[in-house]
Amino acid sequence: MRLTAVSPLVLPAPSDVLNGLRVEGDDISRHALATVGVASLGFGLSVSFALVVSVALHFAGLLRRGVMPLLVASQTVPIVALAPLMVLWFGFGLLPKVLLVILVTFFPMVVSLMTGYGQVPHAFRDQLVSMGAGPWQVFRRATLPSARAHFFAGLRISATYAIVATIFAEYAGARQGLGIYILTAKNNFRADLVLSAVAVSALLTLTLLALIQGIERATGHRYRRSTHA
Amino acid sequence: MLEVTDLTIRSSSGTVLIEDLSFDLVTGRLTCLIGPSGCGKSSVLKWLAGVLSGELRVAGQARLHGAEMSLPHPAIAYQPQQDTLFPWLTILENASLGLEIRRTGRSIARDRVRALFPTFGLEGHERSFPDQLSGGMRQRAAFLRTMVQKSCVLLLDEPFSALDAVTRLMMQGWLTGRLAEDPRSVLMVTHDLFEATQIADRVLVMAADPGRIVSDISITTPRADRTEVSLAETRLSLRSMLLENT
Repeated sequence: MRLTAVSPLVLPAPSDVLNGLRVEGDDISRHALATVGVASLGFGLSVSFALVVSVALHFAGLLRRGVMPLLVASQTVPIVALAPLMVLWFGFGLLPKVLLVILVTFFPMVVSLMTGYGQVPHAFRDQLVSMGAGPWQVFRRATLPSARAHFFAGLRISATYAIVATIFAEYAGARQGLGIYILTAKNNFRADLVLSAVAVSALLTLTLLALIQGIERATGHRYRRSTHA
Repeated sequence: MLEVTDLTIRSSSGTVLIEDLSFDLVTGRLTCLIGPSGCGKSSVLKWLAGVLSGELRVAGQARLHGAEMSLPHPAIAYQPQQDTLFPWLTILENASLGLEIRRTGRSIARDRVRALFPTFGLEGHERSFPDQLSGGMRQRAAFLRTMVQKSCVLLLDEPFSALDAVTRLMMQGWLTGRLAEDPRSVLMVTHDLFEATQIADRVLVMAADPGRIVSDISITTPRADRTEVSLAETRLSLRSMLLENT
């Protein structure tokens, strides 16, 4: 039963979307796996780079003052403009898609980490310095643990961007992935399949977020404690 | 013996914050530093601990047994005003932190610290986290971390300020007891005249603008005999001095 007169070609019923998932399940799964692969690789590399760059920026004030404006400027370039250029420069392979995911997810991670590094209480730092700790010891024993909450906040923000950026990169040009599946379905006027793929992409993002939350909980027993009783 | 001579601290704009401060700390004696807010008491401790802000310009010398020393120095242990037990570390991990930083092996450091838990009234709390302990116990854990470093000079910045009155009295007694068993040179900042006269062997009174020592009072009355009556005159004299220099 349909409640409106809107054509299913424009807005398919939820039952049509579910049916699309059932009928095209294998195909969508294959494309989803490709998307997960690119997103995971790009996101993993992005987080690793962000950790390395944030540590370098933390220790080198001059570098921080020079690099931060460039990082901010990199975020003003729209992904719509970047995605086709990446395909143009690097072809239809893995590289342009991974680069795009890194470009999109790197900035929130670095900013979150840098903010977290700034949260270490002066008293903690003073305590360690008075004990003879050098800058690296202070970073490892106080700064890094103090930045943990910010690290996971950045991770959650970046994770939501990772799947979206991958799909957009695939949309600009790919052989496999939810992006190219959505584009093909749209060209065939199959709004039901477009929405089926969108539902799967949302599910992927939620799964990634749940995974991050799980890791945070599993590893964070001692970090959920407050300074004072 | 630790000697501080001609300590002058200026702000980056050149304002003199502390001027020509000189004093010494004798082993086994507890010296309290009192004075109005902003006179630079904590800055003196931070300088000796090697954690004074790099923006300040400092002149002056610290000598240990006659030899000039660079700061921070292993002979000096510092306990800041705030509770600096790391919330993500257990009490055992917190207490052994100083030793581990000074390159004592982790297991050796922890064994050494664990052995002192009963002395500091912390037995059974090795694996507890700071937020599971009372204020007094956290303070004892902080003292354990400071004292286990075997530094001959302890700098304590208002160690009891966050404690309730009863715990504060108990901790004052506990600290003097510990120091009687394990003598160190102690420089302790406090705002509390009663506390200063109750536990100190000597009280240095500072005045502000610029920070300087205006009086050096030795308290010779044995701690066991210190009462409201026996110390009334000393407290009145200290109070007048503080009021005159505020």
